[in-house]
Amino acid sequence: MAAVRDGDLSRLGLLFERHHTGLFDFFSRTLGDRPAAEDLVQEVFIRVLKYRRTYRDDGRFQTWMFHIARNVRNDHLRKRRPDQLMADMPEPEAAGTDQAAAVEHAEDLERLRRALLRLPDDRRELVVLARYHGMTHEEIGAVLRVEPGTVRVRLHRALKELRTLVETMTTGERTPCDANKSSSSLRTF
Amino acid sequence: MRCEQVQQQLADLLTSGSEAIDDPEVRQHLEGCAACRHEAAALDQLWSGLGRIPPAVPDSTAMRARFASMLAGYEQGREGAAASRMSSWVVRWWRQPLVQLAAAAVLLALGVTVGRASRPAPAADEMASVRSELREMRQMVTLTLMQQQSASDRIKGVTWSSTLEQPGSEVVSALLDTLLHDPNVNVRLAAIDALARFAGEQQVRQGAIEALRSASSPMVQIALIDFVVGVRDTGSIDTLKKLVADPALNEMVRRRASQGLDRLGAKS
Repeated sequence: MAAVRDGDLSRLGLLFERHHTGLFDFFSRTLGDRPAAEDLVQEVFIRVLKYRRTYRDDGRFQTWMFHIARNVRNDHLRKRRPDQLMADMPEPEAAGTDQAAAVEHAEDLERLRRALLRLPDDRRELVVLARYHGMTHEEIGAVLRVEPGTVRVRLHRALKELRTLVETMTTGERTPCDANKSSSSLRTF
Repeated sequence: MRCEQVQQQLADLLTSGSEAIDDPEVRQHLEGCAACRHEAAALDQLWSGLGRIPPAVPDSTAMRARFASMLAGYEQGREGAAASRMSSWVVRWWRQPLVQLAAAAVLLALGVTVGRASRPAPAADEMASVRSELREMRQMVTLTLMQQQSASDRIKGVTWSSTLEQPGSEVVSALLDTLLHDPNVNVRLAAIDALARFAGEQQVRQGAIEALRSASSPMVQIALIDFVVGVRDTGSIDTLKKLVADPALNEMVRRRASQGLDRLGAKS
């Protein structure tokens, strides 16, 4: 990135190769909208170009890039019509030899996927950064510009809320017969 | 050590990638507290479940091409900016209203002449006909999938509907029918998402309110509340008030309905 900042724009291609999949994953998991995710990845690299002179060597490039990605995402959410709902994420595929168990497993993951999409934006973003991008509390704190202690408390709350959502969905679907089978809605993940 | 502290530490362990509980105080607490053991197991299952949701795969080839074109455009723009400084007098000249008016008149005359001289080519008609057939076929596949026995096929059908450029009224009706009558919650939720693009149509708004009155799944109720509030449908206020007043209803649903009323400017 330092080379790009100093004027060698051809090196930006290397950064795109390294990071476009991760950025796409961040956008698609937090927005549930595949075409928008592809557009926003491009927008991040446009802003990387635009603001390249503000990059400092002392920070990790990933943190700086995700900070930009977060702003891009917030701008997108502000522009998005309130009636645009989230839907377009890949369905988890059933795996395993036991067909019935595999179907149940896929349904549980689908429920979890939907619950994640129903989580409020700021909390979903935290879960995605921690779970799918392997960021530590310190790294997330640097992206969000908050203290690591704040990240850990918010992350815990987000997970609790996600659990409640999954349980609400399970209760809504479960028949009296199912209810007798198990008291845990998370058993098959 | 209090349960709340232990549970926060358990979440920290998970989210920091640690595999073992090193703190003897936490271990000791877990041995004697069934509630925290249950919480630990549930959090662990949630975290590993999240890890099993597969990532969406980007179309890297198309994205690379767009990126290359963006970069080339940016570099051209930089060169162009330098060139434009040299020819700024041309820009100033072009910005004269009289020059712009004359250019517009010339272009208009040229357009009218070309338009009159040319006739639609037969090939264009054929292409339009092929496109129309393709559209009808996609629509038929969508409707057929929505009638299947398997819930995942029906979800596919509902999702397919969003790829149709100009879906007919049959597709909207089928989506509404799915929303009102499909036995599977996930299919109904997918139908709500698919109907978002038709939110401007009165019958869709009516259907959403009707579905909200009859829905029994809290998740569907929440999604429908988000839908009607998102489109700012004031016709839903009575229904939302009834939900808020229903003591037998799920607490989260009642809270969301109450928030919806606030957003619509109606007091619950």
